[in-house]
Amino acid sequence: MKIGSYQFKLEQRASLTGWRAASISIFAIVVALVLFSLIFIFAGINPLLAYREIFSYAFFNPFGLPLTLNRFIFLLLCSCAFIIPYRAGLWNIGMTGQFYFGSLAAFGVLYVFGIGGASETQISAWLLIPLMLIAASLGGAFLGSIAGFMKGRFNVNEIVVTMMLNFITFWLVSFLIKEGGLFMNPGGRGESFELPNSLRAPIFLDVTFTIIIALGAAVLLFYMFARTKLGYQIRAYGKNPEAASYAGISKFRIPLLVFIMGGALAGFAGYHYFAAVPGVYKIARNYGFFGDLAFYGIICGLISQGNPLAAIPVAFLFGGLSIGGRFVQGKLGMSFGVDFALLGVLMITLVAFQFFYRYKIVCFKKQEEHLDVGIPH
Amino acid sequence: MIANDQIDFEIKAGEIHAILGENGAGKTTLMKILFGEYQPDEGEIYISRKLVNFRSCLDAIDLGIGMVHQHRKLVPAHSVIENIILGHPRAGTILNISRAEKEINELCQKYGFNIDLKAKVWQLSEGEKQVVEILKALYRGAEILILDEPTSALAPTETEKLLESIKAMAKDDLAIVPFITHKLPIVLAISDRVTVLRRGRVVSTMDTKDATERSLAMEMVGREVIFRLERTEVEKGETILEVKDLSALSNKGLIALDSVSFSIREGEIFGIAGIAGNGQGELVEALAGLRNLEGGKILLDGQDITQSTALERWQAGIGYIPADRIHVGSIGDFSLVENTAMNYYFDEAYSRKGTLDYDKIRSLTEEIITEYGVLTPGPDTTAKSLSGGNLQKLILARVLSRKPRLVIAHLPTQGLDIGATEFVRNKLMEAKQENAGILLISEDLDEVLSLSDRVAPIYEGRFMDIIPGHEVKRESVGAMCAGIYLDEEEV
Repeated sequence: MKIGSYQFKLEQRASLTGWRAASISIFAIVVALVLFSLIFIFAGINPLLAYREIFSYAFFNPFGLPLTLNRFIFLLLCSCAFIIPYRAGLWNIGMTGQFYFGSLAAFGVLYVFGIGGASETQISAWLLIPLMLIAASLGGAFLGSIAGFMKGRFNVNEIVVTMMLNFITFWLVSFLIKEGGLFMNPGGRGESFELPNSLRAPIFLDVTFTIIIALGAAVLLFYMFARTKLGYQIRAYGKNPEAASYAGISKFRIPLLVFIMGGALAGFAGYHYFAAVPGVYKIARNYGFFGDLAFYGIICGLISQGNPLAAIPVAFLFGGLSIGGRFVQGKLGMSFGVDFALLGVLMITLVAFQFFYRYKIVCFKKQEEHLDVGIPH
Repeated sequence: MIANDQIDFEIKAGEIHAILGENGAGKTTLMKILFGEYQPDEGEIYISRKLVNFRSCLDAIDLGIGMVHQHRKLVPAHSVIENIILGHPRAGTILNISRAEKEINELCQKYGFNIDLKAKVWQLSEGEKQVVEILKALYRGAEILILDEPTSALAPTETEKLLESIKAMAKDDLAIVPFITHKLPIVLAISDRVTVLRRGRVVSTMDTKDATERSLAMEMVGREVIFRLERTEVEKGETILEVKDLSALSNKGLIALDSVSFSIREGEIFGIAGIAGNGQGELVEALAGLRNLEGGKILLDGQDITQSTALERWQAGIGYIPADRIHVGSIGDFSLVENTAMNYYFDEAYSRKGTLDYDKIRSLTEEIITEYGVLTPGPDTTAKSLSGGNLQKLILARVLSRKPRLVIAHLPTQGLDIGATEFVRNKLMEAKQENAGILLISEDLDEVLSLSDRVAPIYEGRFMDIIPGHEVKRESVGAMCAGIYLDEEEV
């Protein structure tokens, strides 16, 4: 392509540093926000004002920030749940199901101890909260392991299995919490019984303790992939399964393990949202909404290129924009769905900009000058 | 990078003009330019004294250039005739299959091709597929036929047939241009003239009658090459590997390996000669623990390892050099350090409590790079950026540095240039001198015969015989690879 005396050409990148990838992503976010401002303009709203509202509510407001953080924890856990199998070249589309299963397992602990529906209990929180945590992780891990086992033993496509399990678990939740279900709320409102006050998760500085586990998981996973034997085996299997089995890496063990680990984290997200986030403390009637939100783990995982540390800022941004979008929709009287539309535009732009991970635009001047004005630098 | 630098040569009608060069000498680029796939940055091509300019392969085909690819470009599920007329201008609207069949059959008779036009391409052998490609080019009216590594995948008998057909075509005023990497005898046998490329330049063009194997090799490599590798005799020690009645199925579920028994001792190279697809791949995978057995037993140093996993076999001292360097032997996106780790991640000396000691693996990789002369910017480059020969050096070094008891070398020099081939063979000899047992599987008969202490020709999953190295006769082994026992008088 030629513009004036300049000529532009696409060139393949030989390598991509982490910082270059980050700057491309930031550029993409700016472009997405510019694109989305068209929607505000069509609605007769000043986009700058709208964005100021969104960002200040999501990231600085004393009411908004805790909401953002809770959603961030949820998204980060789901992103990691996607990333672990992703590094093994496998696609976990089943965070939704694993998330539900984890929630059910956590509430199952209460049911087993006979405190379903009771508003108080004598049993110590020091016993029950860890049990709920473990149960949630095991529940998610169990559902994940089905996909991992089927992949490892029979080479059944993991996308299909995880997807199907999502539907099964969705209706299982419905069966358990609606009229006549084991976990039914005594009020019969189509949601589960509530957590006794004493079992609410501890909160520090307006943030639930689950943030430590989510951040810890991301850091540990990063270390695992970078340094450990297991991480090496997962990566080798992910890049070339043939070569991995040549090197003695088990074709059965790796898919099973990654889905167990991923499922455990998604299951833990179930504990987080329905037993730790203030103001919820039950499997909510709109549980499907959180299930859909779990899919954003895929997006965050892909944008961060399977890097668990990079998933932290990405999940934070997505969490914040979904909260801020919903807020601005109410405040400025816009029609329904601004938050998801904003996430959608952001997602498409980020994915489109991954083109620049592989290519750069090179600009020549006619005098054979070699100016590298890569978009973006 | 400049792959072709100021190349000049001409091809006459009725001439067989071989282009010879090592890997990376620029053959592929030149071929693609001649066939219109690449456009040259500089230079001109003339056909029958007319300047031509190829914008794509179609232009080249229209001007009478035919290409026979090494990696066949055929539709496997279609029949031979369908593949031949695919893309033919006359096949555009209404097919007249019977007329095409008649014309193609005439071509077959004229040049001595024997092929069933109704057969599906996936059922054909490599040689037959090549015939289909040649017929396709001829039927489109090719006057200049480019053959990419024409004999690389062929059985000896198929090679002979092909050479006869090529000569018949040349008599008919077709120009034949075979591109060849390392089969010098083939060049000498068929070509009228030969052009040697080295590092993207033409080093010489000469009449074949003035050339010898040695002179061609010198032109290609740029230095004297020692052809005959001296087989050093080593005192044979204990039995390392013992295989009893091993049977295995192929991926299609057919018997690929049928009750094979043999043993290998310390300081011995046991060579298996044969044409691809006669059970060699299955045998290697069965020994490496990558394929389930139908029956039989494998003993390593007296221990039964029949049920052991691939990892346990590595740890027990089997070192496996796979034939497919790119898809099996290495991980393209991994750095050289991580590729070295493929054979070391399980080694206690290179890990601590589940954490890999990347520093130690890195220094090992650096040692490998210097000792084996792997050409690379450094240990952090990806494996896919290495050329075939350098990748093979890395894999070989990685495996041999473990000092394995048993080395399984499957097609260790396939596709390598002369220099790298010489290097790999010497390293295998060194391993033998260090008392390893070596299983060498090769389709290159000369390689097996010159390296092995004992030779087993394999045919349809069975050993035809096991012959001590000094008693081997080339002709009889060659015949056995095709399933034929020669009478003593014939030899």
